[in-house]
Amino acid sequence: MSSLAKAIATGDLTQLPSRRDEDWRWTDLRGLLRTLPPKPDHAEVTTEGPFAALGGDVFLVPNGFVEGFTHIEGGPDNPVAQLRFVAAEAGSIATTVLVAVRSGQTLTLLESYEAQADGAVSDIALDIQVAEGGRLERIVLAADRAESVTVSTAAVTLAPGASYAQTILTSGARRQRIETRVSHPGQGASVRLDGAYLLHEQRHADTTSVVTHSGLGGVTSQLTKGVVEGQARGVFQGRIVVERGADQTDARMGHHALILSDKAEIDAKPELLIFADDVQCAHGNTVGALDENALFYARQRGMPFEVARAMLTQAFVGEVVDRIEHEGAREIAAAWVAEQLGRGQ
Amino acid sequence: MAAVKETVAAVAELEKYQHGFITDIEQDFAPKGLNADIVRFISAKKDEPEWMLQWRLDAFERWLALEEPDWAKVHYPKIDYQDSYYYAAPSQKAGPMSLDEVDPDILETYKKLGIPLREQEVLAGVQGAPKYAVDAVFDSVSVVTTFKKELAAVGVIFCSMSEAIREHPELVKKYLGSVVPVSDNYFACLNSAVFSDGSFVYIPPGVRCPMELSTYFRINAKDSGQFERTLIIADKGSYCSYLEGCTAPMRDENQLHAAVVELIILEDAEIKYSTVQNWYPGDPVTGKGGIYNFVTKRADCREPRAKVSWTQVETGSAITWKYPSCILRGEGSSGEFYSIAVTNGHQQADTGTKMIHLGANTKSRIISKGISAGKSSNTYRGLVSAHPKAVGSRNFTQCDSLLIGKDCAAHTVPYIEARNGQSVFEHEATTTRLSDDQLFYCQQRGLDTESAVALLVNGFVRDVLQTLPMEFAVEAQKLVAISLEGSVG
Repeated sequence: MSSLAKAIATGDLTQLPSRRDEDWRWTDLRGLLRTLPPKPDHAEVTTEGPFAALGGDVFLVPNGFVEGFTHIEGGPDNPVAQLRFVAAEAGSIATTVLVAVRSGQTLTLLESYEAQADGAVSDIALDIQVAEGGRLERIVLAADRAESVTVSTAAVTLAPGASYAQTILTSGARRQRIETRVSHPGQGASVRLDGAYLLHEQRHADTTSVVTHSGLGGVTSQLTKGVVEGQARGVFQGRIVVERGADQTDARMGHHALILSDKAEIDAKPELLIFADDVQCAHGNTVGALDENALFYARQRGMPFEVARAMLTQAFVGEVVDRIEHEGAREIAAAWVAEQLGRGQ
Repeated sequence: MAAVKETVAAVAELEKYQHGFITDIEQDFAPKGLNADIVRFISAKKDEPEWMLQWRLDAFERWLALEEPDWAKVHYPKIDYQDSYYYAAPSQKAGPMSLDEVDPDILETYKKLGIPLREQEVLAGVQGAPKYAVDAVFDSVSVVTTFKKELAAVGVIFCSMSEAIREHPELVKKYLGSVVPVSDNYFACLNSAVFSDGSFVYIPPGVRCPMELSTYFRINAKDSGQFERTLIIADKGSYCSYLEGCTAPMRDENQLHAAVVELIILEDAEIKYSTVQNWYPGDPVTGKGGIYNFVTKRADCREPRAKVSWTQVETGSAITWKYPSCILRGEGSSGEFYSIAVTNGHQQADTGTKMIHLGANTKSRIISKGISAGKSSNTYRGLVSAHPKAVGSRNFTQCDSLLIGKDCAAHTVPYIEARNGQSVFEHEATTTRLSDDQLFYCQQRGLDTESAVALLVNGFVRDVLQTLPMEFAVEAQKLVAISLEGSVG
């Protein structure tokens, strides 16, 4: 149970993490939340989710009420599941959803966070299990409101030979943390963890991941990109742990961010904790402004500054979007990114 | 290849920690334990003015209110601060005027150590010997400072801290504690209360210090902590290169070394600070004994275009926990950090740097090479931050870790905080093991395993070794080889 879920359950705000908690140093909840709004009632959802065009079963969680299903599972022919967390009104929500992909099954999980009213405080926990030979692609689109507070934690347990791919796209919120914890057994299992955060005004987004390699020959590839404007704050914390005996692990992590204004902020902590010697692990991290030469070139060819900037940032984020395997989801993601970066209109 | 041959020879000739001897000299001790009276005792022993005593007592008060930090990736049994001597000094009636007046046993110690007191050769009339001015700190007290006259001729002040407090109180008052405030952290605060000596350097405006300055630290007494304090001020347009070496005898107990180093660099000045740390690392098999090296080192580039360069070769200590840092305040100032941290046996290291960009167009560069072998743990932890006003700042960080053996661990924990849109930060890190192919190639060319490891490791740390002053580089190369002895095969 996350600390926010505990605080919601007990009403005890001292349970909330603060800047003094190492893992939450850049995502202070205790300083932000002076009171917790009451739990909301059940709500009817009439809107369509961002992935509506792709069909598949829809699993709706309005105001934290898990409706009409106990868990989500895969199938033999790569079914699509839309999982929609809708905060229809202000209130504190804590909820848990189980996703199980059995042996040999596949699943494309299209997850969306849709806040429809200001003042929602949500804690969402996902328990994801992928059995031997199972394949799961999870695409998260977090379209929260500027005043939302969201903490989403996915605990992913993989069996040997399982494959897990994830792409998180977020435009941030008042405070938002999307955390993924992967228990990686190696032995043919592979993990891809991608993400992009596109933040403006005073929004905040925290993408945190912990991948623990416990068996031989695990592969992890991680790429997160960020673009921040205004007074926004992007946080990336990535930790790769290679336990004793997890030899021949190949883990690579990249985090690259653009700061487009003087008041925006990026905080990053890419960690490698290695307890085995026969490994290949690397991380790269860059933070900077847009390439002035590229910008100059585009403008010199007649492009207005705003268009040139949007084009370059879109190309920058495009690398993450291109790695999405599901074609329909990739197109929706690309359109969403373009819209966020001001090229959609 | 000459250097490689030397390394191979060094490995062959040395089977264990070579500085593990104890010099039997008469020593003055303060009673064991720590309280305000001990602080007063130390201050009185050093003949300090009232303001200095007040400063210490204030630090002691604050220390009592602080809690010992535990966030680092190092583990050690709780330190009993009351079970240690806070003052141990070779007994002497008055400060020695020259080397001749120093206790011959101490000189013998230095002879055994070889490198640091190289100017002994100069005194003996050896032609062409390099010139080093040395401040030797034995347990807590500065025993001898050489070449003072020659340095004074160009206006450079190089003396022990206690002498500086007596002779140059205005400089000490102005700068002491201005980079590492009294209550900066638990160990710095303890140091502020009980430091007994250390080195003081002042380079006047426009002066390029004519020789390398060097301090040699040795812990000798049993159950004692060493708390030295170094303060270096490089005034406008000056330059100074400072070397620091450390050793300790082999003992079963752990001894605490909590030093504070403050560097102040003014406009257009530069300080190059190099450390070769070879405290006793503890027993390689049982992990018993060894030094806890908990040190606070920080440089403040206070004015435009100031420059500081830290180079450290950390091979010793049971636990190394330090982050030599740069505060880049002056516009266009720059900081560099080059580090080799070698851990073997049961050693633990959590080391790295902080680059705090406050001024516009500031630059920093971090090159860190960590090598872990045996059952050791080696962590790089670093912070690079840019303030909103630090527009146009740049950082490049590279930290590579090398693992030798199944039971060791290597961690990389960088923190990056960018708070403006006109800075560029790049960071890359890799963790790998010693390549089997390369080892095989070397062995197949006739090198035995250990020489092959030494050769490959020297290649791995080359970027950092190159930044050390020549003589130190040779020493450091040998040390790295010796530290890794027995780690393969």
